[in-house]
Amino acid sequence: MRAPKERNFSGGNNMKRFLILNVVMCALVALPVLAGEDAEVFGDGVTLTDAVAIDTLLANPDNFVGKTVRVDGVITAVCKKRGCWMQMTDSESGNGVRIKVEDGVIVFPYESMGHEASAQGVFEAIKLTPEQIEARTAAAHNHAEGENCDKNGPKGEGNGAGCDAPVVNEYVYMIRGTGAVIKG
Amino acid sequence: MKFRRLVIATHRDVGYFFAGLTVIYAVSGVAVNHIDDWNPNYVIRRDVIEIGALPFGSAVDLGAEVLDRLEIPDEPRSVVRMGPDQLKVFLDQRTLIVALPGGRVVDEHARRRFAFFEVNYLHLNHGKGFWTWFADLYAVGLLVLACTGIFIITGKKGLGGRGRWLLLAGLTIPLAYLLVQVWM
Repeated sequence: MRAPKERNFSGGNNMKRFLILNVVMCALVALPVLAGEDAEVFGDGVTLTDAVAIDTLLANPDNFVGKTVRVDGVITAVCKKRGCWMQMTDSESGNGVRIKVEDGVIVFPYESMGHEASAQGVFEAIKLTPEQIEARTAAAHNHAEGENCDKNGPKGEGNGAGCDAPVVNEYVYMIRGTGAVIKG
Repeated sequence: MKFRRLVIATHRDVGYFFAGLTVIYAVSGVAVNHIDDWNPNYVIRRDVIEIGALPFGSAVDLGAEVLDRLEIPDEPRSVVRMGPDQLKVFLDQRTLIVALPGGRVVDEHARRRFAFFEVNYLHLNHGKGFWTWFADLYAVGLLVLACTGIFIITGKKGLGGRGRWLLLAGLTIPLAYLLVQVWM
């Protein structure tokens, strides 16, 4: 006597409807992929139309600290474990700046290396003491490029962008990234 | 009786529906818990190769020379001169870090760690969008499983006896940990 009730609750038409709903949801998920996008947007993307050249940013950092900037360049390194930062480099000069994003909020994939990209965020300058510079250099030598060594290396001072982040005149310059667009 | 039958049916159906996802999240949970000890997303291999001193030239020419000496037929995604003493050649899932002018090459190969990349992608919600909503639904599902699970068994092995003590024990561990680590 119990069987018909069970079938009524979980079987028959209800299950068919449920399966159809599943198929529709899968199709909705697959549509953007099938559409084949040329550029991938991360976080809030890039809203500023004018980019500041990385060379300009590093040559006159005081003019930009605390401001929201957009930079364009080639991705030459990424955090390989968490994807929590990437380095963008001006392909002409070789000067680079780190784009540090909140862990887990934006994840830059390893596959993005070598691609052209635009990124946006607040430009920051972090002054390091001579001891910190020395410790960072030592830590960087003990780790492969692009791997986070903050666990064993120097902490604080807004790091987290990898111990091999470039130091210019005792400063680590980075952009607290809110979004990026990586070209395919 | 009606309430318990509903509880059991709900627990059963929600349990079936989310069983696969629970396995995915469990595997990824362990994988990312130990992220300091390994890279849960990529298998990265580095080989060091000496290709001999390189001539002066543009980044593109140097990149072509490096690929030629390493007998790599692939077209590079990009070639960037990082500074006077370093060149990077980006290929698909592969980066050549070339010391200039000596010709020491760190050949970095990366591949997605089989299955782990995908489970981490889901668990850490790298995709955002639709997955955020589905993961929220899963969280609600877990809540339903927890709430219905404790009412399935009655009697001495249910909440009236053994179940009560196990429930309290399970709550005590995180609370004790918080007490020691955070609240004291």
